[in-house]
Amino acid sequence: MIEMKEVTKRFQDKKKSVTALNHVSFSISKGETVGLLGENGAGKTTLLRAIATLISPDEGTIEVNGSDTVKQPGEIKKNIGVLFGGETGLYERLTARENLEYFAALYGLSKHETKVRIDELSKMFGMKDFLNRKVNGFSKGMRQKVAISRTIIHNPEIILFDEPTTGLDITSSNVFRQLVHQLKQQGKTIVFSSHIMEEVSMLCDSVAMIHKGELVYNGMLEDLYKEEQSEDLNYIFMSKLVRGNGEYAS
Amino acid sequence: MLRKIYWKEMKDSFRDSRTLLLTVLLPIIMMTGLVFFYEMLMTDSTEGETYRLAISDTASEEQKLIFSPIENIELIETDDVKQKVEEGKAQAAIVFEDNFSENIASQQHTTITVYGDSFSKKSSELMQLVEVALVTMESNIVKERLLAEGIADSMVEPFHLQYEEIAEDEGAAKMLAFLIPMILILAIGIGASPAASDMFAGEKERKTMESLLMTPVNRTTMLVSKGLTITSIGLFIGLLTLIVVTVEIYFFTEQLRAALEAINGIGTVIGISVGIVIIYSVFTASILMITSIIAKTVKEAQSYVTPILLLGMFPAMFMTMIGVNELNMFHFSIPILNMFSIIKELFAGIIDYKHIALFVMTNLIVAIVLFVISRMLFLKDKWVMS
Repeated sequence: MIEMKEVTKRFQDKKKSVTALNHVSFSISKGETVGLLGENGAGKTTLLRAIATLISPDEGTIEVNGSDTVKQPGEIKKNIGVLFGGETGLYERLTARENLEYFAALYGLSKHETKVRIDELSKMFGMKDFLNRKVNGFSKGMRQKVAISRTIIHNPEIILFDEPTTGLDITSSNVFRQLVHQLKQQGKTIVFSSHIMEEVSMLCDSVAMIHKGELVYNGMLEDLYKEEQSEDLNYIFMSKLVRGNGEYAS
Repeated sequence: MLRKIYWKEMKDSFRDSRTLLLTVLLPIIMMTGLVFFYEMLMTDSTEGETYRLAISDTASEEQKLIFSPIENIELIETDDVKQKVEEGKAQAAIVFEDNFSENIASQQHTTITVYGDSFSKKSSELMQLVEVALVTMESNIVKERLLAEGIADSMVEPFHLQYEEIAEDEGAAKMLAFLIPMILILAIGIGASPAASDMFAGEKERKTMESLLMTPVNRTTMLVSKGLTITSIGLFIGLLTLIVVTVEIYFFTEQLRAALEAINGIGTVIGISVGIVIIYSVFTASILMITSIIAKTVKEAQSYVTPILLLGMFPAMFMTMIGVNELNMFHFSIPILNMFSIIKELFAGIIDYKHIALFVMTNLIVAIVLFVISRMLFLKDKWVMS
C-alpha cells in the first residue's frame, strides 16, 4: 500500500523555483497496477523518485507499507524495485549474471538465494542463452529483460517503472508488456509512467493523471471509461487536462 | 558490503579498454619517453659527435689550424659558407675578415663572423666549440703581445676563476629528483582518472546510479568503496611507474643510473618512495572523486581533470629554482609541492623523518577534508541524480 498526502517538491532552477509536485495526494492498493500519465515535465519521474526514497518531498508525506519514505528509507528499499527507462541501469562490461549477482549482493541475498533467484528469473524471462555474456553486445530486448530482472532480483512487493518502453521497438515493448502481465499475476503492486495510452489501457487497473505537478485525476480505469462515456484514453487524457487546468495548450 | 562493491568496481574498471590503455600502456610509453629524454639531456652530446664547420676556401692554413686541437670538427671548404649552413651541409660557418692574419700581426682590430642556427642543438654545440677555440687563440695572442712588451700576463689576468661541484653527479641526481615526482603525478592522475570519472559521472550518465541508490546500501559505504577503488588503481599505476622507471634507468641509461647508484641507503629510499606513492594515490583519489561527483557526464569529468593535472605541474617548475638546502617547512606542508621536496631530499641523500611525517599528515588531512566534501555532495540529490 502506498499512501501519498499533500506531497510537494520544488527544484531550484538557476534563480527561480520550479514546483515539480504540488500537494499531490492519492493512494495505491496492494496488487494494483497504476498508470501514471502526464506530459514531459509534468512531475511523473519526480513522483516515482519520491516514492522510491531517492528524493525527499519538501512538504507532505509518502508512506509505503506503513513506512515513511524520509524516516525509514531502508525498510522501503527492501520492498521496492525501480526501473528508470526501459533498458538502462546495467553495467556494460559485466555479464548479465554478474549484473544480477551484484545487485543481489547489494540487497543482501545469500549466494544460494541469488543462484535460485537468477535461475528463476532466467526461466521466467528466457535469458538462459545470454546470461553469461557481457551486456555491451545485447539487443534492446535482451537488455530490457536483464534490467527488469535486476529490478526484481530481491523479489520486491512494489515495482516502479519510469517510461519503460520509451525508445524501444515494437518487439521489445511487447516483451515488456508480457513481463508486466506475469508480475501482475504474481500479485505485485506496479506503478508505471507512460505516454502510450494503449499500453496503459491494456495493463493498468487504475490511472493517475498529472499536469504541471498537480494531480488532475485518479481512479479506476473502468470508472473513468463510464464517467467519460468513452474508452479512448487518449481523448480522455486530453479532455481531463483541459478541464483540470483550463489552460492546456499542446 | 564494502568489499563486494570494491571488487565489482575493480573488475568493471579493469575490463574497460580505455582504463587499461590509460592506466598501463600510456604511462609506460610516457615514462619511457621521459627517461630517455632526460638521459639524452644529461649525456655529454659533444663526445663522439662529428660537427661540420664551413670555412672559406681562401682561408689560410694558419686559420684552419685554430680548430686542429678539436678532433670532432670537420672543416668543409667552400666559396659560399653561409649557403652550406642554410642547405644543412654544415652546422655552422666561420668567416675571417680579409687580411685577418696581417691585422693580427700589426695589432689592428679585426673581425671573425660565426654563422649558425641557435635553435638547432647540434649547431649550438658546434658554435660553443668554435667559441672555445677562438677564446683560447685570443688569450694566446694577448699573452704573446704582453710578453713582447715585457709584461707578465698576471698583469691583465690577476686570478684564475675555478668552479668545483660539491656533489658528484649532482646534475643527474637533480634531474631524477625532478623527473620521478613529475612522472608519478602524471601517471597516477592520468591512470586513475578514467576509472574515477566512470564511477560517479559514468554511473549518472548510464543511469546505473539510480539503481545503485535504490539498494539498501548506505551512501557512505558506496563512497568509501569507490574511493578505495580509485586509490587502488592510482597505487597500482604508481608502483608500476616506479618499477618501470627503476628498471629502465638501471638497464638502459648511464647518467641516470650513476645518479641512482650514488644514493646512500637505496633500500630506504625505495621504501619511502612506495610510501609516497600510497599517500599521493589517496590524495589524488580524493580530488578525482569530487570532480566525478560534480560532473554529469564522463566527458565533463575529464574536462575538470585535465586542468587540475596541469596545475600539478607548476610545483615542478617552482622546485627547479630551489636548492635542497633552501627547503623549509613551507615546502613540506603544501601537497604536490611536498612530494617534489621529499624526493629532492631523498636524491640528495637526506632522509628527514620530520619532513616525511609532515608530508604524510598534510596530504592525509587534505584528502580527509576532500572526502568529507565528497560525502556532503554525494548525500545531496542534486549531485547524484542525472
